Amino acid sequence: MGIADARAMHPSIEIVEADPEADRRLLEGLADWCDRYTPLVALDGADGLFLDVTGCTHLFGGERAMLDDILSRFFHQGFDVRAGLAATPGAAWAAARFCGDRIVVSGEEEALLAPLPLAALRIEPSTRTSLESVGLRTAGAVMAAPRAPLARRFGALLLLRLDQALGRLDEAVSPRLPVAPLSVERHLAEPVTLTEDIERLVGMLAATLKTDLERRGEGARTLALLLFRVDGAVSRIAIGTSRPMREPMLIQKLFHERLAAIEQDIDAGYGFDLVRLSVLAAATFDMQQADLAGEVTDDGADIALFADRVRARLGEGAVLRPVAVESHLPERAVATIPFTEAPRRTTPPKKPDRLQAPPQTIFPPERPIRLFRSPEPIDVPATEMPEGPPLNFRWRRALYRVTRAEGPERIAAEWWREAASDPITSTRDYFRIEDADGRRYWLYRQGLYGNTQVPPRWFMHGVFA
Amino acid sequence: MAMTAVARETVFALRRQIAKIEGTLPERLAAPAAAPLDADVNTDLTIVRRGIAAALPDAFLPIGVQRFDAALSGGLPKAALSEIHGLETRDAGAVAGFALSLTSLILKQTPGLPVLWIGTSEIFREAGFPYARGLHASFGIGPEQLLFTEAPKLVDALWVAEEAARMTALAAVILEIRGNPQRLDLTATRRLHARAQAAGRPVFLLRQAAEPEPTAAPVRLIVASAPATPRDTIAGPLAGSIGRPAFTLTIGKSRTALPGQFTLEWNPDERAFDERWSEGRDRAKNPVPVVSLSGGGKDPAPASGAVLAFPALGSPISPAARNQPSRPQRAAHLGPRRAG
Repeated sequence: MGIADARAMHPSIEIVEADPEADRRLLEGLADWCDRYTPLVALDGADGLFLDVTGCTHLFGGERAMLDDILSRFFHQGFDVRAGLAATPGAAWAAARFCGDRIVVSGEEEALLAPLPLAALRIEPSTRTSLESVGLRTAGAVMAAPRAPLARRFGALLLLRLDQALGRLDEAVSPRLPVAPLSVERHLAEPVTLTEDIERLVGMLAATLKTDLERRGEGARTLALLLFRVDGAVSRIAIGTSRPMREPMLIQKLFHERLAAIEQDIDAGYGFDLVRLSVLAAATFDMQQADLAGEVTDDGADIALFADRVRARLGEGAVLRPVAVESHLPERAVATIPFTEAPRRTTPPKKPDRLQAPPQTIFPPERPIRLFRSPEPIDVPATEMPEGPPLNFRWRRALYRVTRAEGPERIAAEWWREAASDPITSTRDYFRIEDADGRRYWLYRQGLYGNTQVPPRWFMHGVFA
Repeated sequence: MAMTAVARETVFALRRQIAKIEGTLPERLAAPAAAPLDADVNTDLTIVRRGIAAALPDAFLPIGVQRFDAALSGGLPKAALSEIHGLETRDAGAVAGFALSLTSLILKQTPGLPVLWIGTSEIFREAGFPYARGLHASFGIGPEQLLFTEAPKLVDALWVAEEAARMTALAAVILEIRGNPQRLDLTATRRLHARAQAAGRPVFLLRQAAEPEPTAAPVRLIVASAPATPRDTIAGPLAGSIGRPAFTLTIGKSRTALPGQFTLEWNPDERAFDERWSEGRDRAKNPVPVVSLSGGGKDPAPASGAVLAFPALGSPISPAARNQPSRPQRAAHLGPRRAG
């Protein structure tokens, strides 16, 4: 039926465009919220969720109580939800869609499925119509039919689904989020809204976590804090640590920085009624010997904690560490990577670093102390010789007179990296120049003279001390 | 001066006492305007200096240039906030270079500790990001000793600086800021200074394109580039070459120093400062080449013949000398022996 027909029948009808993407986001939000019942939540098509509640039901007072809790909470959030609970995903799927709010005891799957239509078996519509055309209209009829002809005629999927629903074959529900190895949570009778309260709760949860981590001999590398709001929204706050950590006070400190940074992004609304702290990644924790005064002096730990705190507040790339890269292109020769703790050096370095002793030359080429992120184009009106340094140049709208120059140092493009680049136009000749005020700069000319198509261009690339 | 020597001694003792209590440097006594800067006349200056040095022997970072250290009464305070100003953004190279050379001096005393360089995104975009290869070559600061923090906002940069300033695990903290933002006021600098004092580590506040304004830093230096001397070679200075980095320093503010201007040259090989000598004094200091000339060179210097114990080239060759193989013959005779 078209919109025009629908409007003709019901003039006051409200028409909203279908938005599968938004539906998907909503379903994922609901899945997030369902994390409060079990860590194993999987999406099922566009309109369903699988919750693997194995071993979780007793936390909510049994299967019936849990189902009622889910239904009533969804109802209060404004969702009309139907749920089924069974020993197999297939039976639960059928129970939710065709019976409603039913709990199927293990072993009763056959009795549940037998009167249901074929759609309850999760099979393709084409298989369903062809089954119906031969007179098999219910799941019970299919179950009663001999298996070999069914498999031959309608494919293996039909029997697979049937066996899965009846529990003869295992079916895995793949959770949408990795399951945290350790996780502690606290249900709150009275929802909390204040950041200080949340931080205090984090400290308490971390103290519980510490005993578990100690038992496993591990420390947390990635921690996630999940805040379940009363009305169903879930905030997930993750932090990473540079070295394994289990001290509750330090964990609380890191979350303090993170919460301070994203304070405006978290809307407490009516408050959070469930707070969960999970260890997403853990690593072996090295115990350290304290001295007689009971103090562990470790500068590395201080810096690691400092970097973690800065990262918690300013984001992952807030503390950077330069690393030397084997490349002769100046901008590629150094990469900055987010701070990670360098492996502790137990023995002194055996051979000198390449940086210290370049192999070819005794005198390493002069390199600037600051490099512009992208070379800035400059205007060069005149050079004494075509291949020589500029006499003066204009950079950032100011004119500079060159008094002395050293160079050129020719640096060619890395042809093995960029196949398309022309070796003539991408060759750079670097000059180290000093202007009339004594400032020292690093300029280069890209391209060569005599190449008529593309005139060479000049760039400012760095400054010297 | 009308005071007797004993009275002055008492005054100085009291001032030292006050300085110790307050944790600040004692103020310099105003020297008579007519008196030249001479050790004999300025006994009061030397007394003050000796007083601080005796009370806090490790509190100063000597720059290594006598005149400059004397002007700052011992060097830059080590556990303090120090302001290093550049008048324009284009001076960023010199300002950063001077701060890094100070850091390099500090790293000589505390080797192995990392240095944190905090900057706002603005300054790193305008003045360039620190380049680890250049820092290693010019200042001997290895990439494993460097940490950078780029903060999008000044508030964040100040927060990181405050947190870093109280850490003893960092050799030095460099905070680089452009212009005169309102947030970097007396209170903010006082917090930084107090933390640096508590941790005993220096915090260098680099301010590019900024006007001097009241801050809590005890010392403010204004840095500009100075034209570099040509590279020194065996055959004398190489014309047109650009040698070691040089800085022009102006003491903008110091509670103990007299205002003054200095031109310092950084020696990247020794990682030390030299004061710029005038052309004549430099030559006079080093009248002979330190490195001997190579014998097998293409163009041996004419003087090398004269110092040998052989007859001079101009004199008639003696019969004994005739038996000596000539230069190319000797080389040919030595050649196969080496190869074997």
